[in-house]
Amino acid sequence: MATLIQGRPIATKRASMFSRQKRFDTFLIIVLAVISLIVIFPVVYAIFTSFRPRGFGLSRDLFAGGFYLGHYEQLFSTIRFVRQIFNSLVMSLGGAIVTTVVAAMAGYSFARFSFRGRTLLLALFLGVLMLPGLTNLIPLYKIASDLQLRDTYAIMIIVYAAYGVPFGTWVMMGFFKSIPVALEEAAEVDGATPFQAFWRVVLPISAPGLIAVFITNFVYNWNDFLTALVMLSSTAMKTAMVGLFDFQNQLTGNNNELLIAACVLIMLPGIILFVLFRNAFLRGMLEGALKG
Amino acid sequence: MRQKTIFPYLLILPALLIICLVSLYPALYSIFLSLNTFRRGERVFVGMRNFEQILASTNFWDSLRLTAVYGVLFVLLTMIFAFILAVMLNRRLNYTGLFMTMIFVPWILSEVVTGVIFRWLFLPGYGLLQDLLSPLFGDIAFLGHPQGAMGVVIGATIWRTLAFAMLLILAGLQTIPGEVYEAGAIDGANGWQSFWSITWPLVRPTTLVIVLLLTLQAINATGLFLSITNGGPGRATEVLSVSMYREAIVFFNFGYGAALAVLMLLINIVLAAIYIRTMRSEVVA
Repeated sequence: MATLIQGRPIATKRASMFSRQKRFDTFLIIVLAVISLIVIFPVVYAIFTSFRPRGFGLSRDLFAGGFYLGHYEQLFSTIRFVRQIFNSLVMSLGGAIVTTVVAAMAGYSFARFSFRGRTLLLALFLGVLMLPGLTNLIPLYKIASDLQLRDTYAIMIIVYAAYGVPFGTWVMMGFFKSIPVALEEAAEVDGATPFQAFWRVVLPISAPGLIAVFITNFVYNWNDFLTALVMLSSTAMKTAMVGLFDFQNQLTGNNNELLIAACVLIMLPGIILFVLFRNAFLRGMLEGALKG
Repeated sequence: MRQKTIFPYLLILPALLIICLVSLYPALYSIFLSLNTFRRGERVFVGMRNFEQILASTNFWDSLRLTAVYGVLFVLLTMIFAFILAVMLNRRLNYTGLFMTMIFVPWILSEVVTGVIFRWLFLPGYGLLQDLLSPLFGDIAFLGHPQGAMGVVIGATIWRTLAFAMLLILAGLQTIPGEVYEAGAIDGANGWQSFWSITWPLVRPTTLVIVLLLTLQAINATGLFLSITNGGPGRATEVLSVSMYREAIVFFNFGYGAALAVLMLLINIVLAAIYIRTMRSEVVA
């Protein structure tokens, strides 16, 4: 294409159209780059702020105060913060594990078997997928208080697991449908029970689907704020998100740089997982929205 | 499909149990709660009185109006921005993958993290965007101003949701085969004409689906409001969901809060039904 542009004086009309096209594409790339930078700017600005000493975050002199690691040191030595990160990990991982196992089983059943009530059950799962978690918070709060289950890992893991099950089932069903039945039939000819065929033959080759469900649910649970806000009230049991929210409200413009450093630490796992497993996330989103 | 045994039911059982326990039973229980009131821990059956109170209170209608304003502005602006982005990204230029990753970062952030960052950007008197943007809006302190605070929450919501809407539109655009455009070009269609007569009619069904999804999201949006404005200043950003949270969890008005939840659930069910019907008739066909 470059030679065409250089040969401008004798170039045909077609060639000049190409070079116009090319210039337009370059222009588009610049526009897209500017938009992407604007979109990601608040995150970069937050990371930048987290390395500035207390009181320097708003200084227009970008390098005033130098590169400061003190906020991170302070956070890692704050028992409450570390404990709340640990709580977030236990609840998010627990919920994601239960969701993945349970959804894989249900998804396999819907994908492979015809049985009485299948359509009805499938409709129920899809109906629950459309239920907003929000309107269930009040009854869940009441039930958990009555059973004295508030501030426990168990209730949070079950609730998180339930949030993920309908969607996870849907994704796994699609995934299993793409695996040929012949594999299980061969295993059963060799004397495997249906459960063994599922457990030993199908599950091991379903790793990509399982990972997609697990990772998206983990990040979703990790980011959850409302459910944790409603269900957890003791400082020792709160998740990092609720801790961050409390921290933000207690602090009246006092040590914003520390708050932002906490914020950066909390958003890091999600961003890292997203960059590593981008396609799993994107595929999951598309499945959920356009095929649900 | 394979032979009938008890095995398929056993596989579904755990999922079904969890869904019934955590999703279905609470939904039914909230209907029961909405017909009662709680005084000092004592439950009193009051029938429809919570609903009558809600419909008679000005707070409810204010919240409904705020939810509508928020929803309309958020959905409209998100769709416009997402469409422009998707059309540009659909040309599959260099660096598209990098741009996509950058645009998707806000989507992966939680509501609280978004809230902290936006409160920092709009810190009254000092925040970076507060200083940059306030001359354009009559020197207001955004978070202390009723419409300004709503504007910040709408901006933050668009920021987080843009990538999601863009991806779905992009998926719709990519189902259009390139030959259609070539045929259009041979017939002498320019860029604008080919957009209106080829692209738009073909992605309209997808667009409708995304609008419904975003509307559902808008009605249930709570976290960003709690973390950026907490309903304030005054009640200026107390949308339905925030009002429900305050009544039930902060003031322990379970009955009243549950009645609000039931009303919101009804709105959700109506929209979800429209969504499912649209999916069936437009996208699948």
